[in-house]
Amino acid sequence: MNISLKGLHSLFINVKQAKALTVINFKSFPQRVIASTVSILSIACVAGVILSVLAMTEGMMKTLERTGLDNTVLVMRAGASSELQSVMFPIEVNILANNQKIIKDEQGLAQVSAEMFVDAEVTYISNVDTVAQETETKSLALRGISKSTQQFRPNFRLVKGEMFATGVRQLIVGQAITRRMPGLIIGKVITLGGAEWTVSGIFSDGNSVFESELWADIGMVQSDYRRGNTLQSIRLALKDISDLPQLEKEWQDDPRLNIRVLTEKQFFADQASNLTRLIRWLGFPIAIVMALGAIVAALNTMYAAIASRSKEIATHKAIGFSPFAISMSILCEALLIAFVGGLLGILPLYCVFDGWTAATQNASNLSQMMFNFDITVLLMIKTMSLALFIGLLGGLLPAIKAMRLPVTEALRD
Amino acid sequence: MKNSDNIILKNINKSYQKGKNTVVVHRDFNLTIESGEFVTLMGPSGLGKSTLLHLMGGLDQPTSGEVIIGTQRIDDLKQASLTQWRAENIGFVFQSHHLLPVLSAQGNVELPLALTSLNKKQRQEHASYALELVGMSDRASHFPKELSGGQEQRVAIARAIVSDPHILLCDEPTGNLDRQTANEILALLDQLNRDFGKTIVMVTHDKKAANYASRVINLESYIGEAHNCHMGENR
Repeated sequence: MNISLKGLHSLFINVKQAKALTVINFKSFPQRVIASTVSILSIACVAGVILSVLAMTEGMMKTLERTGLDNTVLVMRAGASSELQSVMFPIEVNILANNQKIIKDEQGLAQVSAEMFVDAEVTYISNVDTVAQETETKSLALRGISKSTQQFRPNFRLVKGEMFATGVRQLIVGQAITRRMPGLIIGKVITLGGAEWTVSGIFSDGNSVFESELWADIGMVQSDYRRGNTLQSIRLALKDISDLPQLEKEWQDDPRLNIRVLTEKQFFADQASNLTRLIRWLGFPIAIVMALGAIVAALNTMYAAIASRSKEIATHKAIGFSPFAISMSILCEALLIAFVGGLLGILPLYCVFDGWTAATQNASNLSQMMFNFDITVLLMIKTMSLALFIGLLGGLLPAIKAMRLPVTEALRD
Repeated sequence: MKNSDNIILKNINKSYQKGKNTVVVHRDFNLTIESGEFVTLMGPSGLGKSTLLHLMGGLDQPTSGEVIIGTQRIDDLKQASLTQWRAENIGFVFQSHHLLPVLSAQGNVELPLALTSLNKKQRQEHASYALELVGMSDRASHFPKELSGGQEQRVAIARAIVSDPHILLCDEPTGNLDRQTANEILALLDQLNRDFGKTIVMVTHDKKAANYASRVINLESYIGEAHNCHMGENR
């Protein structure tokens, strides 16, 4: 007990001394403003890059996680890793829909949605209200849907305009697309697959990945893209999702079917994992290299600070300040530099980019996917922790050097 | 300890490595300075005067031998204990005053009191009193760059005495000063010795300093005499 009380007392004294020295260090900060600014900016760059990568992956994850229902089964051709690679036939829809484990409505009709999915070249005039008009071409996901599809999109809302009419070239546009392409307004005529289509409405779907798509009548899409009566994916609502393994086996054993079955949730989770892995592979190595640079900058700043203050540090020791308190004050200065750098990296990004809609090429279906930068408090804490860690590493060796500084030599120099 | 804080250096050997060579600074060196003495250590450069001062203040350790201040042997103290002991018992005055440029005279003098349990108001009072003692009350708010060399050294002395140590170790405190200012500093140290009973050990090349000291040790002849005496004993 006595030993621990003595230890606590010693710690208290050291903290008190470190506090006094830290105040002095901060007062002399202007003398080292250039070196310190370089460190601060290096750490700010690292924090900015790391937070961007984290916010992108977070935004993508959330967009893809919001997509798909737990009890919805997605069926594609065996071997297809995306809807784009899949081809299904109407006869297969009938076989699947007739299964007893699929939810039926009051008329005994199965809850099923047969869908087309096309990577469409969209050409449109981008300027909304200026004289100088520019033609723009983008690759967007075009989904052919039927009336029953809406049963699988409980968050679907028409934000503006009206639903497309069947049998005509009308489409509705996901609102994530309109954030990136404000020229896509209601009534706009755009070119899809060589034919002209009219935008009839703009829809939302709870910020899911479907908001990055164009939706149109499946019959018109099949016709315009010369797909006959083929489909690409089938969605089925299961009465009980725990029946899926049994159902999957049943369908695998059926010689009329050659299909891949998985939950819609799982399908989008896999896509999320592929996309975020790619971003991490690209983003994190850059961030690591920059972090190493920032550590070197912080080390350099703190070593220079110690070199220029060796007599001051020696005097502190001669007066009676403990080497531990002196090293703590050096660490505090390094951590302050890191904290300011972290703030400079985080705050502008948060103010400008939080909620900003970005687009990326979705490798699995080759079209653009829109997502929001999502800079959460947790991500900011993670980024700040990394910045402080860089400061800690940058300050540690100089702090040890200061602790070991021989007083007699420093005073003589 | 403050009643009998004699400084005893006993059989001190001090050497250090310079490249591949071992440089011997002191061999079997003995010295006793009694409490309340004002001693000047004089002699040519390279004899190890400052080293002795550093050993007395616990800034350096002997290769062998004992450094005893009062009843406390300090050469075998652990770093943390030594630092605390130094804060309580020793005041240093250097040739270059080593004042912190970012602190005012008052702030510089208050600095050692951060090591005590005094509150802010008490620290301010103690520092003001120390500045008054060295005649610098009217410059309390001035920063070092606004002071002359002599004034800076006075502030450095105030910093050395503010926590009321019984021993002042001064390493050429007048080395950078003109004659008149040097005399003022020496008079101030003399006053601290006479009026407040501080034990003062001062390394200096200044022959005038002898006028103020109660004992002058010329290290060259002191070492020579000790060596002869040692040889005589061996015969």
